[in-house]
Amino acid sequence: MFKLGRKRGEKLEFGLFTLPALICIAFAFYVPFMMTVRYSLTKWNGIAKNPTFVGLDNFRQIFSGDANFANAAIFTLKYMILYIVLVNVLAIALALVLDMGLRSTNWLRAAFFVPYILSLVIVGFIWKFIFMQGFESLGDSTGWQVFALSWLGEPGLAFVSILGVSIWQSVGFYMVIYIAGLQAIPGDLKEAATVDGAGPVRRFISVTLPLLAPSITISVFMALTNSIKVFDVILSLTAGGPGGTTYSVAYDIYRDTFQNNLYGYGTAKALILFVAVLLITIVQLTIFKRREVEA
Amino acid sequence: MSKTISAAPKKRVRPGRLVLEIGMVLLSLLFLYPLILTVINSFKSFAEVMSDVIALPQSFTFENYTYVWKAVNYPRLFLNNTVITVIGLLGIILFSSIAAYKLSRTNSRMSGVIYMLCIIPMLIPFQSIMLTVLQIAKTLHLSESTWGLGIQYWGFGAPLAIFIYHGFVKGIPREIDESATIDGASGFRLFFSVIFPLLKSVTTTIIIIDVMWIWNDFLLPLLMVNGSPATKTLTLAAYTFVGQYTSDWQYAMTAMVMAVLPSIVVFILLQKYIVRGVVAGAVKG
Repeated sequence: MFKLGRKRGEKLEFGLFTLPALICIAFAFYVPFMMTVRYSLTKWNGIAKNPTFVGLDNFRQIFSGDANFANAAIFTLKYMILYIVLVNVLAIALALVLDMGLRSTNWLRAAFFVPYILSLVIVGFIWKFIFMQGFESLGDSTGWQVFALSWLGEPGLAFVSILGVSIWQSVGFYMVIYIAGLQAIPGDLKEAATVDGAGPVRRFISVTLPLLAPSITISVFMALTNSIKVFDVILSLTAGGPGGTTYSVAYDIYRDTFQNNLYGYGTAKALILFVAVLLITIVQLTIFKRREVEA
Repeated sequence: MSKTISAAPKKRVRPGRLVLEIGMVLLSLLFLYPLILTVINSFKSFAEVMSDVIALPQSFTFENYTYVWKAVNYPRLFLNNTVITVIGLLGIILFSSIAAYKLSRTNSRMSGVIYMLCIIPMLIPFQSIMLTVLQIAKTLHLSESTWGLGIQYWGFGAPLAIFIYHGFVKGIPREIDESATIDGASGFRLFFSVIFPLLKSVTTTIIIIDVMWIWNDFLLPLLMVNGSPATKTLTLAAYTFVGQYTSDWQYAMTAMVMAVLPSIVVFILLQKYIVRGVVAGAVKG
């Protein structure tokens, strides 16, 4: 009897401890997610009383000929690949320099990290000002042609601008992860390589880089999950322009749901984004798991 | 003096190193130049901004600042941001820490399933559910209010916080719980008087990453509290303000500086902790 009572008490305590978080998570994710799945099978503009069930029509339409979605998907994919590669390469380069024990290390770390603490929307506006007004003055005083280009007005250049601004904002974050990774590498390993006659490049490729693998895993993972959802910086920097060429998938979903009031159609796209994120995450985790076992 | 002999090869300033050092400092200034230009132009008049962006202001006035301060009702925005962040943070820390502690200490199938249910949502991109999140918030009367938005962060922040706490609690020996139980503490008292203080370092990490996230968040506040000037956040107000003053760059830049100034000041003061917290959060998360 006593035992049963204690068991019940334990269960009650388990519930008291876990339910608040569980309820919050359910209302933040699971309930909206189930509603999203339901809406994706309907046609609804938000004004009509009830959504009309249309089955998989939305998905059929998206995959058979939605130029907006296809362009946004291509844009996002290009952005993701270039962002992941460039931000990690630059961050490793910066981290290597900052790990050399320069006198200005503290200043440099702070300087490169600062943009990361700023809101991306505001970063977008600051750069819009630089591209539109600042470059004009810089062009006048230097005479360089780079400043005369229309960095937000031409589709190709606007893509480069978005990519560059995103990297500018977040490179410091990846840099500090790599600095922590470099500091965890035992110094005697590098010394041993030097004694064996390895030059700096050889030392980096054969000793530093393999030992930096855990940091690379984390950084690539973070860069991936952040870049697939790119939205804020585009909104303030180009607002999808010029000519609608810089819409990302997330921005396209936002446009359909909140600007065109295509609730059913927009949520169908949102669901596709979710499945894409899920698949990419699973693939990435399996690859890195396998590599870690081998290592 | 003997110390200098062994340290000499390292301390000697090699020319290559000096060039690198100077080059890096110049690079960092170039890197920060957009921010420097923003600050410079926030002190200029409209005509000055239009004629030359890179020149320094002719006179140092706070006219733009007093104008924007009044136009956006700055103290109100600051209060809104603080209310949202503090309410969000309190719920995330409280609910996630007790849940993660219990889930980590209970070895049952049920506990494992609930833990997975808690952390799986990290895979759901917010844009996938934003429409229905807004509908639920309207139904629950959590939209159009700062405290309502703060409450919504409890659920959005819990998965990562539970994940980080869960991993950390595993490292706290169970003997601590047992000896506290013998001393008569149990349940919530055991947790708050014995366990929670031991979680201090992870709690700091979670506070840092969540403050940076909630303070700067854009899309959720845009959907929830953008309707009235009384509930706007700093970022939202800056966003609206720039939309209204498209060509008045001097005001726009002032609004930018005022929106990011709190973050910069906090960063300068707590730089070491912020960098450490961000790294810890990324490595564990």
